[in-house]
Amino acid sequence: MIIDVHAHWGPWFFSMEVGAVVTNLAVMDRYGIDLAVVSATEAVIYDPTTGNRAMARMLETTDRLLGYLTINPRRLDDAERDLRELLPTGRFVGVKIHTDYTGSPPSSPQTRAALELAAAHDLPALVHTWDRSPLDLAAAVADIPGLRAIAGHMGANGWRHAVEAANSVDRLWLEPCFSHTEAGRFAAVAAAVDPHRLLFGTDATLIDPAAAYGAVLAADLEPELAERVAWRNAADLFRLERA
Amino acid sequence: MSRNPFVAADLPPVTLDVDVLVGRYADRPGPTGEPAAVTALLAANGIARAAVASLRAALFDVRSGNDEVAALAGPTVLPVGTLDLRDPLGAEREVVRLAGQGVRAVRLFPDEQHVEPDFPSVRHVARRAAEAGLVILAGGDVRRYWRPLRGATVIFLDTHFYHLGDFVVAARDEPGFHTSTRLLNSPDALETIAEHVGVERLLYGSRTPFYEAAVPRLRLARSALGPDAVAAVAGGNARRILGLTE
Repeated sequence: MIIDVHAHWGPWFFSMEVGAVVTNLAVMDRYGIDLAVVSATEAVIYDPTTGNRAMARMLETTDRLLGYLTINPRRLDDAERDLRELLPTGRFVGVKIHTDYTGSPPSSPQTRAALELAAAHDLPALVHTWDRSPLDLAAAVADIPGLRAIAGHMGANGWRHAVEAANSVDRLWLEPCFSHTEAGRFAAVAAAVDPHRLLFGTDATLIDPAAAYGAVLAADLEPELAERVAWRNAADLFRLERA
Repeated sequence: MSRNPFVAADLPPVTLDVDVLVGRYADRPGPTGEPAAVTALLAANGIARAAVASLRAALFDVRSGNDEVAALAGPTVLPVGTLDLRDPLGAEREVVRLAGQGVRAVRLFPDEQHVEPDFPSVRHVARRAAEAGLVILAGGDVRRYWRPLRGATVIFLDTHFYHLGDFVVAARDEPGFHTSTRLLNSPDALETIAEHVGVERLLYGSRTPFYEAAVPRLRLARSALGPDAVAAVAGGNARRILGLTE
């Protein structure tokens, strides 16, 4: 069993053809990924209102994908309406906040407000983090009661800051996806943080799961920890029923 | 009972890796790149042979660094010379010396040496290397380094899948342009390059010991390429370009 907690559905603006849901499923099959939690690229990059709704329709077509409802911290009124209208579908299990595409770093007032909204709905928030920003996300987690957050990319090159961040609060999780696969990165993080806070994320279908899967493979985890990374921690965080 | 779900019994053997380094970076954490440790990593990752260059040569002293890798020549190590783009006059001399030693390829480190693609040195050094019959292993952003490297046989080592389209349109006009697979880790990057300019342009590169060698192997294993194409990417193409017959 493998759960991918950081995936996307929809097209990208690069020279790639990965926007169809059949591509999501085919890419998951390449690596034995059973379930992925996806955000709509349209919602992440451009317009959450249309992107979230398109994805709600897509999620009706497969039981192997669950949704992040994307929040643009600069459009919180839209976010509140999307949450009100789309959460009843039962297919959205978290929120996605992309700090770069929205020009809203984790320390910004608007992202703080978006994270408060996620906490108010008791939804885990996947937040794009890079370099030192996991520390800012950890500060938000510490300040916002009940907030559960995932540091997307675990800071990318800033993974050492992600370790410090995860160890500073009790409601911050890390997932490793990053196209630059520095040797030993995941093994070092896995050795340094609470094993309950490690998740598996790929950034598919932007990045092939080979990047994250290969990084975890290279870490040669003990079976119990590997299962935690693969799905147990995700199942607990998203409160998924176990088959 | 727990079981590790992360397994890969299908990783292809790599017969020639075009992107391996010995030595260390002074400005970052990471491995010290001792040759014995690097060759052990290659063996552990199913890499039979590698084109190896020296960070000592790239960062500090070309001649002693190149001699360091020359001394490692053997069944596992194919020495690659390094040229310093900060010293084009010294690079002229080193091209002659390396070619005289039978070295088949030189590596350029523009990022590490803080050299820009429009510096006169880049075009000049690339020309001298090409005239000497040397293959160029090039770091740097393919969107910018395609221009001074036109006409040469080049393996771009840093082609990211974000820039795949730029590589393809440049490679259509440049039959000598090839790319490492190291950062081509999107779901259809390998297949797109194979479709547009041919699988013979793809070469496995790991950047051992600084990157996870398993990642491009895994991507290759799970690609839509057939077994012959996989074998070509995993070493056959590199042997052809480098003129290796064994």
